[in-house]
Amino acid sequence: MSEEQQNPPQNNPIDLNKPEQPNTPPSGFGPITPPPFQQPPPFGQFGGMGGQQNLPNATVALVLGILALPACCFYGIFGLIFGIIAWALGGSDVKKYHLNPTMYTESSFKNAKAGKICGMIATILSLLFIIFFVLIIAGAITHPEAYDRFFKGFN
Amino acid sequence: MILQQLSFIDWLSHHLLACPFKSYFGYDCPGCGLQRSIVSLLEGDFLASFKYYPATIPLIFIIIFTAFHLKFDFKLGASVIKFAFLGIAAIVFINYIYKIYTHQLIA
Repeated sequence: MSEEQQNPPQNNPIDLNKPEQPNTPPSGFGPITPPPFQQPPPFGQFGGMGGQQNLPNATVALVLGILALPACCFYGIFGLIFGIIAWALGGSDVKKYHLNPTMYTESSFKNAKAGKICGMIATILSLLFIIFFVLIIAGAITHPEAYDRFFKGFN
Repeated sequence: MILQQLSFIDWLSHHLLACPFKSYFGYDCPGCGLQRSIVSLLEGDFLASFKYYPATIPLIFIIIFTAFHLKFDFKLGASVIKFAFLGIAAIVFINYIYKIYTHQLIA
């Protein structure tokens, strides 16, 4: 019903009924996305003053993702924790941005994406090191001589 | 002032945190050398810093760059951070493989 009411004034050049939404395409989901929530031009880039906001966890994800790399020291556990947290936070923010791209600033979206990728890399690296440590310990227990030769050289 | 700085570095170099992996198993972990490297960087010895841990200088660079990027919001900042991070991860990984290959894990 509502579509049929909406479409004829779209085709009509003299549009007197709905002057506030001239750009909505005549697609199926016109009435679902509410045009009154379309924000005024991107004015306040740095905060939630006027138009767009920063994504909530973008900065945290980026910082944690970077700190995950030097934190791989302690058996790789801290690197793994930081990396997974950064990956999850960045991923959820990227999803949030794709749901509603006009509400959030693009710079914070880029930061969230960078944090997600940094967390991913740190997680993979920490996992590799953990696997390596497990192999070292298993090798030391099962094949002590081969282990010694591998790490100390043949002399 | 200079004397104070030197004594601080001296104090720092005697109070480094011991790596738990190394103290239990006797082998270096992928982060071993980072603190010694930072100490020699504070002393001004870039070559020794690189020899202890090649990723220290890029790590300090990326941390400072991230702080500036979050403050001033550079246009290409996020992608610079991404690629720098990938490079540093590669440096850490290659450094560890190299240490295994040249039998430097037992220091």
